This record gives sequence, structure tokens and C-alpha cells, in this order.
Amino acid sequence: MIELRSVSRSFGRVTAVDGISFATRDGEIFGLLGPNGAGKSTTIKMIMNILRPDSGEILFNGSRIRESDKDRIGYLPEERGLYRKVKINEMLLYLASLKNAHRPAAEKRLDEWLARFDLMDWKYRTPDTLSKGMAQKVQFIAAVLHDPEFVFLDEPFSGLDPVSTDVLREAVLELAGRGTTILFSTHNMEVAERICSRLLVIDHGRELISGSLADIKSRFGHNTVIVEFDGTIDFGTLSRLVRSTARFPRWVELELVEGASHQELLRVLLDQVSVRRFEVVSPSLHRIFVDLVGAEGKQYREPVGA
Amino acid sequence: MSKMTKVIRMEFRLTVANKLFIFLTILGPFLIAAVAILPGLLSSSGGAMGGPATRIALVGADPHFVQALSPVFQQSKIEVRAVQGSAGELDSQVQSGAYDGYLVLPPNLADATRLQYVSKNATDYRVIGALQAVIGKAIVAQRLVSAGVPASQVGSLTQSPVFETRQLTQSGEKKKNSDFVTTLMTGLTFAILLYMTVLLYGQVIGRSVLTEKTSKTVEIMLSSVRPMDLLFGKILGKSLASLLQYGIWVAISAAVLKLIGPTLGVSIGAGLSIGMLAYLVLFFVLAFFLYCSVYAALGAAAEDEQHLGQLAWPAVIFLIIPVMLISAIISTPQAPVIVALSLFPLTAPIVMFLRVFVGAAKAWEILVSIGLSIGATGAVIWLSARIFRAGILMTGKRFRLSQVLGLARSRSR
Repeated sequence: MIELRSVSRSFGRVTAVDGISFATRDGEIFGLLGPNGAGKSTTIKMIMNILRPDSGEILFNGSRIRESDKDRIGYLPEERGLYRKVKINEMLLYLASLKNAHRPAAEKRLDEWLARFDLMDWKYRTPDTLSKGMAQKVQFIAAVLHDPEFVFLDEPFSGLDPVSTDVLREAVLELAGRGTTILFSTHNMEVAERICSRLLVIDHGRELISGSLADIKSRFGHNTVIVEFDGTIDFGTLSRLVRSTARFPRWVELELVEGASHQELLRVLLDQVSVRRFEVVSPSLHRIFVDLVGAEGKQYREPVGA
Repeated sequence: MSKMTKVIRMEFRLTVANKLFIFLTILGPFLIAAVAILPGLLSSSGGAMGGPATRIALVGADPHFVQALSPVFQQSKIEVRAVQGSAGELDSQVQSGAYDGYLVLPPNLADATRLQYVSKNATDYRVIGALQAVIGKAIVAQRLVSAGVPASQVGSLTQSPVFETRQLTQSGEKKKNSDFVTTLMTGLTFAILLYMTVLLYGQVIGRSVLTEKTSKTVEIMLSSVRPMDLLFGKILGKSLASLLQYGIWVAISAAVLKLIGPTLGVSIGAGLSIGMLAYLVLFFVLAFFLYCSVYAALGAAAEDEQHLGQLAWPAVIFLIIPVMLISAIISTPQAPVIVALSLFPLTAPIVMFLRVFVGAAKAWEILVSIGLSIGATGAVIWLSARIFRAGILMTGKRFRLSQVLGLARSRSR
């Protein structure tokens, strides 16, 4: 179990992480969500003992995290990198050995993982021949090859095609099923919604909300409507009924103002467009995230740079 | 096995498997042979480096006189011929390459007070020295004969005594001094060898640290090992690989020199005793580790390869300074500036080695110099680990060196 107690870290005058607290439970998938630059990577680096917090403490299984605890943690950094001139099997076994993994066991697991990701043909090749998706799978293997109790995945699905995303997601779910605790960070809410059991949303280094996915959703109420449509909606005519909107090309997620009627909204919409789907739902994580981060009414835009 | 040992092993294997490394390991012995043979070859008399003999016309000379002198000249690989003709004709013959130069002799040699030698290469000290010695001596002999000295005594009268230099070294022993040229050449060869090696391996280490940082491998590495372990492991792994290479070089060179040395008429390490060789190795290793750690620090601070090249220049200059000062170091090894340079870690290896070589270094100076070098190496590695850590936070962004140093000083970890 990893526990952070009001951990803070600043660089010069910039406070990257400001009093973050959370604790993971064994075998769960915990999501650390936030826009780029929110302090996710700094938090991870502090857990990995690469950076030291200015204040607060980080506990691993109940005691202050030590250098040797790193051996029980797997890490997939956001920035992927492999030694270009080292064969993949050598590289992966080297990284596992740096975690003090038992060599024969690591070799056995390596074959299992390579087979699972269809990378057996690349076992004795250097990574410069790998596609981006393959390189990412190799890095994932690097994070889990020493059979850690705890795995940190920093944006594991970014840049992956749908097939690879599914393969990797299944691997993550299977690891969690075997009791590995997984902490992963992302700004991709769809992914987070599908695999997280609990989550923490941070922005500007501060906690915005935390808890289980169901709790968070219920806190945000049931006044959300998803509309799929053909045509163009004049959002100006909805302002009386709708508090905020998240627009997508073919559909829109609307949050109603207090006391507004779903039926009235449907009537207004029918005058303008042909409605193909009209569903009252709990808000999506995306919606909640956008509301929390304060970019209301706009689709969340990724700031440039990290 | 500690994690640092694992890093060392990996770096060592990666380096040794590198093509450039293997190529240099094969090429190296020729460089080392050069250190041992060149000083001997260059300073041996008549070192015309195997070129054709120098042809010199002696204008207006008596053919018998010339014939008598030509065996002496031949020892210095100079061919002399008596010719007649005007200065204009001879100028064109020198221009066309028929002669390398000409010397105009007056009809009565004994009266000569000033002789003029004309050649395209007026600074060839070997030819000019030979002409001065041989013709000069012949003229003095003629004067003595015309003054009534019996010709049979002229030889012994004009013979100047042989000068042998014996130097009182710091340890009080009197040793036969090797001549200036041999010392100069040995020092120069050592300095250049060190310079080339440092440029080569320093770059390799600097680049490897830089790549570690920019390829983002560093995050995954640091999730397993401490920055200090990683950096020490990289430097040590690469250094051990290069020392292995040196071992191979020395072994091959020794074997080669033993085989072909006698044919060339050069003994192993002209001017290099076993003790000196030990000092050479010692200072080489010191310089090597110091510069490798400097390059590691620069690699940690640099943003890309080009930037690394720019940052490396100041370091390279400290290798060039001793090379430029070589003759000053050899002739005035006790000058305060030279002593200071022999203690300052970045210049110490070459300067101190040369001072030891000419026997001018006091024991405490050698110890202080070695101590400072080791201390500086440790300090630089420590600093580079801090820069390395600071640099990880700043990858991909343009930054000033002062910023990095500021971060390195702060409690970043």
C-alpha cells in the first residue's frame, strides 16, 4: 500500500504539488487524473524517490518509503526511452536485475509477456526496429517484469491504437486481478472511467476531488443529458435550461440548471435538430473533470507542454 | 551484487561491444609504438626521416677539398659537390631542384670571415649545423696550417672536449640526462596521446550521459538506482573498458617493439625508464578519470550534442595549455607558474609528468598533485550527479548553465 500524507513540492516559486494526500488499497486500480502540468508526474517522481518532497511524507506498507522499496515497484514513465543499441531481452533482464529480480523467474516471465504481446520475434532485436506501440509494450514489460507489488503507469495508453490499447488494458486488469496494486495517471477520462475503481483528480498541484467512481458520480447528480443528433443546435436558445455543455461532433452532453425539465429540453431540441438519442445519465468523468478544472462549457483542451 | 556493479557491468559490455572501440583497440598499438619509437627516431642524428640525401653545391671550392670532406657530410646524409658558376645560375638550379642549396666559398678559404648559404629551406638546422661544423672546422684548420702549425697536430688542437650533462635530481641521485629533443618529443607524444584519448573517451562518456538524459531512459533507470550509482556506474564501466583497451595496447606494443625494435635500432621507450613508465601510467589514469568525470558533468548539463561540444571547449583548452608550454616546462620546471600548473588538477597530469620526467618535482609536490587530482575527480562526479538530477527536471527545455548549477546547489533530489 502506498500512502501520501499532505505531500508538497515546489520548484523555485512554482508549487508543483500542494498538499496531496491519498492511499491506495491492495489490488485496486487507482487513477490519478489531471490536466498536463497538474503535478501528476512530480507526484510519481516523489513516490519513486527520484524527487524528495518539501513537506509531507510518503509511506510504503506503513513505513516511510526507502530506496530498497523501489524494487517492489514497477514504473512506466510518461517519457518512453530504451537503450537503442541493446537487444530487447538483454535490456529487459538488465532492468529486472536492477530491481533485484530472480533471474530464471524473470526470464520465464519475459517469454510469457513477449508471447502475450506478440513480440517474440523481437526478443533478440534492438528497439530501433520497433514501432511506437511495440516500444510502449516493451516498456510496459519493463515495468512489470520483476513482478512488483505495485505498478505505476504514467499515461500508459497515450499514442496507442485501439487494438494495442485493448491488449494493454486487459493486461492491466489481469495484473490487478492477481493482486497487484496499480496507480495510473492519465488525462484521458474515457480510459479512466473504464478501468479505475477509485480516483483522485488534481489540478495546479491541489486535490479537486477523490473517492470511488460511483461516489464521485453521485455527488455530481443526475441532471445530465446526452443527446445524439443530426443538424445544428443553437446553444443560445438552451441557456435558460442548460448550465453547461460538453460538445462533441455528433453528440453533446448537457448539464441542466436546477429545476429544469428534461421534457422541455427535448421539445426545444426537437424544434432545431433531429434527435437520435436522448438519455438522462449520471455525468461522465470527462464532464466532471471539465467542470472541476474550470473549462466550463468547452471541450477540454490539452495545454501544450508538460 | 550491488546495483552500481550491475550498471558498471552493463556499461562495460556495451562499450566493449562497440565497433569504434574494437577498431581503436587494433589501431592503438601503432600509437603507443609511436610514443616509444618517435623520440628516438626524431632525435637520432641525420634524422632525415628516410628521405633522399640533401644535395649541396659548394661554389668555387677546390674539388680535392670537397672530396676530403664528403665522407663526413655523408654521415649526415648530405651530398656535396664542387661547382663553378655565377650566383644567378645557381639560384635557378636550386629553384629547379637540381640542388637543395649552395654555399659560396672564397678563393682563399683561410681568409673567409663570412660565408653565405642559399637554399629554399633556410631553417633546416640539420644542414646548417653540419655545414657550420664541417666547413668551419676545415677553415680553422687551414688557418692553423698557414700559421705554421704542423698539419698532423691540427686535428687534436681543434678537437673540442665532449660535454656530458649530468643532472642532480631532487632525490640527490645524479642521472645521465636525456637530451632536450628526446624529452620534448616524449612529453609532446604523451600530451597528444592523452589529448586524443580524453577527446575520444570523454566524448563517449559525455554523450552517454547526455543520451541517458535525453532518451528518457533515465526515469526508468532512476526508478531502480540512485543517480549517484547510475553516474558512477556509467563512468566506471566506460573507464574500465578503456583501461582494458590500454592494457591490450601496452601488451601488443611491448611485443611488437621487442620484435621489430632492434631492427629499427630503437630500444623500448627511448628515454623512458620503468619508473617513468609507472609515472606515465599513473598520471594518465588520473587525467583520464578526471576528464571523464568532467565530461560526465558536461553531458549532464548539456542539452544536445552540439551544446555538449560547446561546453567541452573550456575543458579541452586545459589540455592544450600544457602542450603549448612544453618547452618552457622542460627548460624552467621550477618557475612558479609551472609549479602552479603542475598542481592544478586539469593541467597537472601533463605538467607534473614532465616535471617528474626532467627530475624537477619534489616528492611533496607529486603527492599534492595526485591528491588534488583525486579530490577534484570526486568533487566533479558529485557535482555531475547533482547536475544530472537537476537536469532530469529540465529536459527538453532551454536553460542556462547558471540555472542548472542553482538547481544542483538546491536540495533537489
